[in-house]
Amino acid sequence: MTQNVSSEQTTRNIGGGNSTPVFWGRLSGWGPYHALVRVATASPRRQFLILAAFPILWVLSQHLGPMLQMFRVSLTDAYPVAPGVEQNFTLDNYVRFFGDSIFWMPFFRTLIFAGVFTFCTLLITYPVAYFLARHVSRKNQMLFLLLLLIPFWVGEIVRTYAIMILLGNTGAVNLVLTTFGLVDRPIPFMYTSFSMGVGIVYLTSLYMLLPLYSALEKLPKSMNEAAADLGAGAWTRFRRISLPLTIEGISSGCTLVFLISTGFYATPVLLGGPSTTVFAETIAGFFHVAGDQWPTGAAFATIMFAAALLITAAFQKIMSALRKGDPR
Amino acid sequence: MNDRVELFRGNRIFLTCVYWAFVLYVFVPLILMVMMGFKDSNFIGFPIRSWTLDWYTGIFADTEVLSTFGYSVSIAVLSTLISVIVGIWIAVLLEGRKFTGRALLFGLTLLPALVPGIISAIAFRIYARWLGIEPGMGAIVWAHAVHNVPFVVLVIMARLSTLPKSQIEAARDLGADPVIAFMRVTMPYLIPAILGASIFCLLLSFDDFVRSFFLGGYEPTLPVLIFAKLRSGMSPEINAIATVALILTAVVGLWAERFTRRMNKET
Repeated sequence: MTQNVSSEQTTRNIGGGNSTPVFWGRLSGWGPYHALVRVATASPRRQFLILAAFPILWVLSQHLGPMLQMFRVSLTDAYPVAPGVEQNFTLDNYVRFFGDSIFWMPFFRTLIFAGVFTFCTLLITYPVAYFLARHVSRKNQMLFLLLLLIPFWVGEIVRTYAIMILLGNTGAVNLVLTTFGLVDRPIPFMYTSFSMGVGIVYLTSLYMLLPLYSALEKLPKSMNEAAADLGAGAWTRFRRISLPLTIEGISSGCTLVFLISTGFYATPVLLGGPSTTVFAETIAGFFHVAGDQWPTGAAFATIMFAAALLITAAFQKIMSALRKGDPR
Repeated sequence: MNDRVELFRGNRIFLTCVYWAFVLYVFVPLILMVMMGFKDSNFIGFPIRSWTLDWYTGIFADTEVLSTFGYSVSIAVLSTLISVIVGIWIAVLLEGRKFTGRALLFGLTLLPALVPGIISAIAFRIYARWLGIEPGMGAIVWAHAVHNVPFVVLVIMARLSTLPKSQIEAARDLGADPVIAFMRVTMPYLIPAILGASIFCLLLSFDDFVRSFFLGGYEPTLPVLIFAKLRSGMSPEINAIATVALILTAVVGLWAERFTRRMNKET
């Protein structure tokens, strides 16, 4: 039915009497255009090359180019090169990273934080996604999901600021705690790994929620019901059915959230303190000062990117092994 | 049947509570932030004893804030235009075609979306210097455009995969060359997806901090301005600015969601 309607529309558009068909009709009848199209589409091979040339050029120069250039700069001793100075290739920038704990401490801290925050996000959003996919009627699912998407459109900085107001010494949480007499003086939540965690989980939870939701939505309801009929309790049903069958969603959600949380810069600056410096701040430091620090910054960013990729690749390997070799 | 309903009820109550708790977690910080913009005091913090609209009237009189809004919006519009054109082109190439290197090309297409924010920002910064683009509007537009291309490609590819091939064939049989068939059949079919992808790009660009921060010149975009103001101290003025940005993005997002859903139903 739908197909019929849309093909009727298309037919009407092609033959229609409004102003655009005149334009297209004129264009296709115009000699030079006609010749050009005929030359361009003379063979499928030529047609493909014309179609493919721009995307390939774009992807290589704009998507891959910046990463390769960053890697190249990381191997040099000076960038941008001052006139009259020779640029040499060196590994010093990488050696520098291992030489000082002020560099590798934030690096490992970032990876550990990102791992922990990703796990927290998973724990928090899994039941929410489960509820949306399994306990809300089809008709209302979009509405319930949309409710959660609204804050998602609000930017990183605005949401980070909202967390600052929530957790500050005169913030809402401390106001509630002191008025109910639970604490004598405000708890200093801010500028700790706790406030940073709340902020990052707040920013990333929807990137976890959406893959989980789409994985859970595909899960047939009948499986759970059959298991329940056979006497499986809620925990067993979750562990033996929902969890193994949604591993793909878990794996892609965690990968996404991990990569995003290693890349945050503003949130750790605003919510974290001196004891929670992350590697993004270390890297950024090389770009705020004089230009001759750029190669070191580039090297550190390369290390960070390589580490993040390695960890997510290993994680995905483990997850797919779990999925395949599940003998239970 | 009743037994079964009984069996799932406990779970259901628990999960309903979790969902609404999560809704609170997502909304309460934003609601508090909006409330704070009406506080009649220079000092951020609860409780709020008296209320005022002065902060809002203040920002609409502040030319710096207003021009920053304009600057952010024009960056968003320009970068979206580039992303959408490039994204459609790449999607048309990738969808439904088999050729050597397709998987590699697809992987590289998604790359900018997978690079963590800070690394992407400084890679763009280095590359912009290499290309000779000065920090400023051009550099930000370029970085946002490249970063947003993968999202456009994914949305357009999803829509293209549902396009009935027979329609293109019919157009070709009726004498349309490939270009005209594309413009008259494929493009109209893609409109809901193009619109959805555009709005998504606009919001991504408008909200982006890290790329704008590292590629910007002296003129700040809105998130960069808020960040700079926050570093020099919290004030209800920031809340008012953030609230206006929040309302703008939420309204645009909601409208787009409704609009694309309706368009998808019609075709």
